[in-house]
Amino acid sequence: MSYTLKTWNDFKNYQSTCYRNYAYASEGLRCMGSTWSVLAPLKGLGEDVYIIGGEPHAASTAGTFPEEAREDISAAEIAGLGFHSCSYLKLFVGEVLRDKIGITDGTIKKGYPKPDLIWTTHLCNLHSKWYQEVSRRLGGIPLYPIDMIGGGNAEKDPKIVKYVCDQMEEGIRWLERVTGREFSDELFIKAARNEIKVLVLWGNICALNMHAPAPLDERRLIALFPPAMVDRTTDQIVRLYEALLKEVQHMVETGQSVVSNQRFRIVYFGLAHTYGHPEIARILRDAGAEIVASVYTFGTTGNFRGFVNGKWSWDPIDPAWVDELDLSSRRDALSALAKIVLSWPTWQGVRSYWALEQMARAMVTQFKADGLLLAPTRTCETDFRNGYIAIQRIFKNQIPTVEYDTETVDVRKMDLPGSKRKTEMFVHLMEAHKKGGA
Amino acid sequence: MKKGSDAIIEHFRHITENTHEYAKSIQEKGQLLAGYMCTHVPEEILYAAGIIPVRILSSHVSQAMTRSYIHETYCSFSHDCAYQGLQHNYDYLDLIVHSSSCIHMAEAFNVWVRFAGFGQKSFLISYPHIIHAKPAGGFIVESFGEFKQFIEKFAKKSITDDDLERAIKVYNHTRRLLKRLWEFLRRDNPPITGPEAATVTLASQVMDKQECNQMLEQLIQRLEAEPGKVPSGVRLMVTGGACDDLRIFNLIEHLNYSTNLIFIDSCTAVRYFWFEVPEDRPDKLEAIVEGLIGRIPCPAKDNVPGTGEKKRFRFIQQFIQDFKPDGVVFLYQRFCSPQSMDVVALKPIVNMLGIPSTELELDTTVPITQFGAQLEALVEIIKREVPFE
Repeated sequence: MSYTLKTWNDFKNYQSTCYRNYAYASEGLRCMGSTWSVLAPLKGLGEDVYIIGGEPHAASTAGTFPEEAREDISAAEIAGLGFHSCSYLKLFVGEVLRDKIGITDGTIKKGYPKPDLIWTTHLCNLHSKWYQEVSRRLGGIPLYPIDMIGGGNAEKDPKIVKYVCDQMEEGIRWLERVTGREFSDELFIKAARNEIKVLVLWGNICALNMHAPAPLDERRLIALFPPAMVDRTTDQIVRLYEALLKEVQHMVETGQSVVSNQRFRIVYFGLAHTYGHPEIARILRDAGAEIVASVYTFGTTGNFRGFVNGKWSWDPIDPAWVDELDLSSRRDALSALAKIVLSWPTWQGVRSYWALEQMARAMVTQFKADGLLLAPTRTCETDFRNGYIAIQRIFKNQIPTVEYDTETVDVRKMDLPGSKRKTEMFVHLMEAHKKGGA
Repeated sequence: MKKGSDAIIEHFRHITENTHEYAKSIQEKGQLLAGYMCTHVPEEILYAAGIIPVRILSSHVSQAMTRSYIHETYCSFSHDCAYQGLQHNYDYLDLIVHSSSCIHMAEAFNVWVRFAGFGQKSFLISYPHIIHAKPAGGFIVESFGEFKQFIEKFAKKSITDDDLERAIKVYNHTRRLLKRLWEFLRRDNPPITGPEAATVTLASQVMDKQECNQMLEQLIQRLEAEPGKVPSGVRLMVTGGACDDLRIFNLIEHLNYSTNLIFIDSCTAVRYFWFEVPEDRPDKLEAIVEGLIGRIPCPAKDNVPGTGEKKRFRFIQQFIQDFKPDGVVFLYQRFCSPQSMDVVALKPIVNMLGIPSTELELDTTVPITQFGAQLEALVEIIKREVPFE
């Protein structure tokens, strides 16, 4: 009997409320940018700050309004954006061009809600160029990109941590200038602790999937981390993730799972694509094969112990550690934020193939994988690709490993028949491997 | 037998066509050679240690080998550079150096390090992605300090401030000479063609700068004395990304119409040298960093915090004013996302200036017929044979 999550609706409501607040705010500050950024500094500007983030918004728009998403992407291409460019980017810019915004509650608001400022990051080649284009299209919105530089062990390099902190300090002064508001360190530090707490809590929740049966499946993992992407700085979101952690711990203690049939445990590398292509999920589901761990759903807004004595560990960080963090000054809080964000698994792997390989080895071992599915997204150049070739070589004699190209939100770029065939073959390989034949 | 400036240009051309032969000839004289893949590498530090920096160039050979190493949606330049490593064409290099660049070239570097035998003779310089962030300068100085220490150990030689100052001056001299060369193209009837200037510039990136400077001095001296050799035609400016395939520049000047290639804004042409490092500064690394930050930015790193401005556009508008093109060719590698994002924003500016433009996406080989037709269509628009909208 499959378990039904009690906290599910609270998560969905939180996400939709954040978007509604942004879309319909008549007062306060609307802030846009990659939510793959440190968000707490925005909250130093007051309690009426509403955030919209590029990646989660594009992903949920594609999930909620597939037809609209296609129109958005076409509109962006007609306006000149390249066919090969990031499809999240094109969907997001497409909404700006079509002067409307879709919200996860299923409503579409006409008239694009113009942000007061853009606060974002730069890591891949397009990350901040995305918002340069949005800023230009909306008549010149003030934009502050933060170079997160990234790479394996970046959070342990004082030079990189200082660089990121210095940019954020400068950014806070910029926020004061462009908004005319006084920055509250008290509000900022409170938001910073919440932000770090949510990242650690999500890491704890994901780590529980080491158990068999894994309490959560990919469908839930994909849906449960975006609220942390949308706004992870509030007291409410901390309470939600604390409640979810308790619930999932209880599931583990009682041997329950949202998916009862788990014959094969899959480790997945790549941006999540099964929400846009449920056909793939169905093949796996029918065979009792479940994606129990993925760098993307775990590591985009989640933290783990990471590199310990040169080896990666997916063990969780004790949430009590966050309560004891010394965040008594602005610099302390910025430094803690820089370190936690730089140690996100997704960022560790983008520019460091060796970090990615270590993560893969640890994930396969710790999550007891029966198979490894590698699915790079065609339009995402940061999609951990620099490790895929080596990862295939590492695991080729250990567990069935399959790779195919995917696409997050642009269905035109997904070779669905080919991917389905490979997925079916993958299932057969795992079956044979289990019987000792492959 | 060519004479005058043509003979010197021919010598430069020979070097671009025989880069390995040239590099090996330097090595035979006892020089250490370091390959580099991105122009954010501080060549002066290598040069100060007595190492000759050699830019890794592609071969434009159709191949499928790198598809097993780099994703197919990375640009052909990165694939081709990775291919050079996998084919062991550069095995003679003593070192390969890279600075955190766009992800595509970073991946080409990774291929060399992991699969082409350069694991123990490589260095990656940590370099910012937002070049105009206020703290970026300090960060690069620290990174270059680490690089300098590595090079000192590698070359078994300490690099003094005097060594660095000498290198800065040699490199600045190259930059000034190359700038003078390209400024000939501002004239109506220049003594050198755009493709020739591109050839010389590309050669300079693989040469010992002292030898390069001597040849450049002689070339400029002769060009100053020679009459113009290029009949006035439609003036075309190229702006875009890395392109070491000189055939495309020759094509621009060999259409069915009379055309002149008068400027190339790319990291394999003027972006390579159109800046100077301040001389006689007490802190040499700071001076090098100041020079690199002030250069025409690579689109992958061009975003001014606070405004989101693309500084490169200011340079391009200045070049348009100075070189007076009749048309602009946006030339960039297919899959190079920063370039294509810039073109979207740059096109309206060029349009506003009343300058027609066209876009060419580069791949491993140049589709001569297709590009030729596109370029001729552009010329026809410029000549008002078809309407410009």
